[in-house]
Amino acid sequence: MALLERSEWYDIARATNWTPKYVTDSELFPDDMTGAKGVPMEKWEVYDEPYKTSYPEYVRIQREKDAGAYSVKAALERSQMFEDADPGWLSILKAHYGAIALGEYAAMSAEARMVRFGRAPGMRNMATFGMLDENRHAQLQLYFPHEHCKKDRQFDWAHKAYHSNEWGAIAARHTFDDLFMARSATDIAVMLTFAFETGFTNMQFLGLAADAAEAGDYTFSSLISSIQTDESRHAQIGGPALQVLISNGRKEEAQKLVDIAIARAWRIFGVLTGPAMDYYTPLTHRKQSFKEFMQEWIVGQFERSLIDLGLDLPWYWDQMVNEFDYQHHAYHLGVWFWRPTVWWNPAAGMTPDCRDWLEEKYPGWNDTFGKCWDVIIENLLAGKPELTVPETLPVVCNMSQLPICAVPGKGWNVKDHPLDYKGRTYHFNSEIDRWIFQQDPVRYRDHMTLVDRFLAGQIQPMNLMGALQYMSLAPGEIGDDAHKYAWVEQYRNNPYQRKAA
Amino acid sequence: MALFPLISNFQNDFVLQLLPVDTENTMDEVAAAAAYHSVGRRVAAQPGKVVRVRRQGASDFIPRDKRLGETDIKPMECIEFIFADS
Repeated sequence: MALLERSEWYDIARATNWTPKYVTDSELFPDDMTGAKGVPMEKWEVYDEPYKTSYPEYVRIQREKDAGAYSVKAALERSQMFEDADPGWLSILKAHYGAIALGEYAAMSAEARMVRFGRAPGMRNMATFGMLDENRHAQLQLYFPHEHCKKDRQFDWAHKAYHSNEWGAIAARHTFDDLFMARSATDIAVMLTFAFETGFTNMQFLGLAADAAEAGDYTFSSLISSIQTDESRHAQIGGPALQVLISNGRKEEAQKLVDIAIARAWRIFGVLTGPAMDYYTPLTHRKQSFKEFMQEWIVGQFERSLIDLGLDLPWYWDQMVNEFDYQHHAYHLGVWFWRPTVWWNPAAGMTPDCRDWLEEKYPGWNDTFGKCWDVIIENLLAGKPELTVPETLPVVCNMSQLPICAVPGKGWNVKDHPLDYKGRTYHFNSEIDRWIFQQDPVRYRDHMTLVDRFLAGQIQPMNLMGALQYMSLAPGEIGDDAHKYAWVEQYRNNPYQRKAA
Repeated sequence: MALFPLISNFQNDFVLQLLPVDTENTMDEVAAAAAYHSVGRRVAAQPGKVVRVRRQGASDFIPRDKRLGETDIKPMECIEFIFADS
């Protein structure tokens, strides 16, 4: 039997809006769940998804993708990747899997909300495939690291991280709960698929796929590429939703959602991707600095997407771009210094050659962050490792849940951005984080940071050991320097000399 | 005597840290407690200098012998610790 071309039946088949007879429209599609912001059903019917597919087509392509990723894994299982890879690369894998794998399940729930409560038939259709995508991503990113668990317990955190109170896991949960677990269908379309996926996941996944191939980890490279092709499809759910909102006089609401989501995504990528690109990736494999990557993808490309849709740049755009120079350096220093509190082994990325590279990419680095590392290196050379681990907690931001940190040394600009709200003082990393809180204080006010929990007596005993127990970090899982401090020897009897300009 | 948590923002360091002190502590003692978590860990010592205490945004230091309980500093207020000549 001859089949019609998809284009001949697609629009009719997915015209699935109807007029309910037994309940009211608002009962079937409560505004709280749809997030339609009062835009009536018929206005959503102009929603035109740029990428159209049918279920048979989807299944065929996904089957091919899965077959590709799993066959590369099977073919390379006997390779020596785990044994031969630079420890910094293994740390990138562990951090990535722990931070992302179960987040994919969360994203699946979010897509499911668009399937049920999306007001546009096209959105519901696209999100059905998006939901299946995210399920596949979670399963892939749990299955692939599993083979390494027997060699290294830190890989178990691919599954464990989100079930713990480890600080990075709290930060990831807080962000993803805000962006897509506790949002309406339309808000998810804007915040998850447009801001987070179009803006940022593309970057993490494209960058990581290239880095993996460069590092010789072809299994991870093919896995990530396989996921990325799904992302680039379902990330397109948000654009047409924004067009509907804007053309129906809801630009202000849409802009606020975009501004919140970009700010929150930037923090997560700053702590996850920033150190991976500028410190963990071995110097010989680095193609671009994190800042260059951000400028290409966020300033160069995402900025254009915002303008093309008729949105404005977020009010904090210049400040965020300014943070590309320092925020991830501060996060890296924090993660390395508080390394017993993470499920991976942070790579210092601190050989003299690395410092030359950092100075070249970030002029002034040696006079700022380098000053802190000078003291750390001195202590390690002097046989005083106890001075390179913490004896107190960093104060974490009431929005990002990440340490409040900025530039040390000659450019010292660290500052609290407090806010008194109904008898409680909240602390923020920047005006941007504080602004997000002020948009909806009731939404955020009751959350307790790790420091709040410590002061409330929830972490016992009140010392590092108690904190590690609270974070479920068992022996064999607690982070330490990725290269077992071998890099420090390059400085013995040979103080760092800056390369002549 | 009462345990009193502050936020330490130590000059030249990169991060705010939780600083448990006591209402009976003088500013010099509070400064020494803050220095313990920063100086010699990520901040180079400055021999001959003393560490002075001020509230975030203030330009004047709090007298060195003043006790924490005698100030109107609030728990978990962000306090700056600055190297000074005296």
